[in-house]
Formats: sequence, C-alpha cells, structure tokens
Amino acid sequence: MKKKLWILLVLFAILGVIGYNYVYQDHRNISTESASYTVTASELINQFQENATVSQEKYLNKTIQITGTVTAKSDNALTLDNAAFCSLSNATKFALNSTVTIKGRCIGYDDLLEEIKLDQCTLIN
Amino acid sequence: MKNILLPLALVFISLSFAQDKYLTKTGTVTFEASVPAFEEVKAKNESTTAILNTENGEFAALVLVKGFRFKNALMEEHFNENYAESDDFPKATFKGTISNFSFEKINNKPTSATFNGSLTFHGKTKAIENSTLNISMSDDNEIQLSGDFMADVSDFDIEIPSVVSKKLSKEVAVTYQFTLLKR
Repeated sequence: MKKKLWILLVLFAILGVIGYNYVYQDHRNISTESASYTVTASELINQFQENATVSQEKYLNKTIQITGTVTAKSDNALTLDNAAFCSLSNATKFALNSTVTIKGRCIGYDDLLEEIKLDQCTLIN
Repeated sequence: MKNILLPLALVFISLSFAQDKYLTKTGTVTFEASVPAFEEVKAKNESTTAILNTENGEFAALVLVKGFRFKNALMEEHFNENYAESDDFPKATFKGTISNFSFEKINNKPTSATFNGSLTFHGKTKAIENSTLNISMSDDNEIQLSGDFMADVSDFDIEIPSVVSKKLSKEVAVTYQFTLLKR
C-alpha cells in the first residue's frame, strides 16, 4: 500500500515538472537557431515587392540570415541596403557603409516605409 | 526650358513633403488584458512604425503583430496561433487625425489633444472616436506622441475559449508611445 502511494507521488511530481516546463517554457533563442534562409537584403526586398503574400508565408517568424550594406544605424538597430530594418538584441557597433551579415527573426513587411522588419538580430560578421 | 522645370518642381514638391513628416521605426505599443489574481496577459511591441504629418495632424502606425513579445513564451505562441492568427493577419494598423492640429503650438510641455481614427486588427476595423493623446516636442526636435484607449475583444472577431475566458479581460487596454524624428 505504502509503495503504491510512493509511486503515485512520484508520478504526480513528474507530471508537475513536465507541466511546469510546458507552461513556462523558454522563449526561442534566435541567436542560437540556425537560419532557415540565407539571402541578401536587396534580394529579400525584391521578393517581398514582387509577391508580398508568398514571401510573407515563406519568411514570417523564420530565422533568416541576411547580408547587406549598413545604410542607417542607431544604438539598437540598423538598416541594410535601405531595405531591411533590423532591431538588435544587444547594442552592437557598426560602421556605416560596411557590409555585414546578421541573423534575426523576420516579423513582416512594413508597407508604410517599404522595408522588411526583423527583430532579435545578432551580428554574424 | 519647360522640360527642366517640371522635374525641378517635382523635386521641390517632394522635398517639401518630406519635411512635413515625423517618423519612428521603433515605436512602442503595448496591450494588456489581465484579470486580477490570474497571470498577467500583457505584450509589448517595440518595432512599430509611426508617421505623423505635421501639415495636417494625420498619423498612421503600422504594428507587425509577430513583434508582440510576452513574458511567457507559451502565451506568445497561443496569442499568435489562436487569437491574433498572425500568419494570416500579420499587420495591425492604428491611424487617425488630430483635431485642431497646429504644429506651431507643440512645445516641450505635453499638451493633450483629441483625435478620431481607427484600429485594424485581425482583419477587422473599429473606429476610435474622440480619444485623447499627449503631444510634445523636445528641445532636440523629437515629437513625443503617447496615449491609451480601450478596445473590445468582441469587435475584432476573436473568440476566447470558455476555459480561459475567466483569465482574460474582454476589454483590452492599449497604450502607445512614439518618439518621432524629422525625416
């Protein structure tokens, strides 16, 4: 009888741990995920301007690696080829007009400014 | 001669237009639908694009729904998959016109103004009437635009399953904060 009680207790504990880990699971870590797509910033904007719906389906919420020239920058963000606005996870120093590769999550196409937006970006090189 | 004047005039027109716009690409929009005693239901979007036309007081903000971040990763997943359905409706827009707008009157003291506009979310648009916002201009020519309003979940065709309905407010408090720079 006592043994059964113990088994039951352990079972509950295990279920509790699994349940807790499910409800309070960690956020995605974009910087350690491998990129689903590798493109240049200008190629990416071309795809969005040609067919926004198809590109959205392809890239939305995906980790992508993009290369381009830094055309604008601030402490926490940079723009590549006037086409991709990347919000950085950590403030990183970039030189204007340098060519860089960054990895981030595509959150969509901004049709007010005709730019693609990415967040949680990190510098690859 | 005419051939030169037209493009020149166009350049000047586009220049003068560009000068009347203030914008941000990193505006903040948060919403909260928490119910006391239950886990906080709150998300923040820090990659909102907002543009203010200082000529006529029109503003428009584009919120990419995938950019809403929750503390709880599972809640974020459920929000995107079941409620906002952000794969199908990746964009939310918030726009309006500030009543009696005068660029000259904006100074470093926050003043309140009313606006009429609309909020589009989950493919549904709801009018926002006579809502107030605060507007001010810092010494380094940054326009601060902020405010809040309430939105009913039912207006946006979002179904809340009965299991979680007690943990989720039917009224959502939306706040926004834009630091706009001259373009």
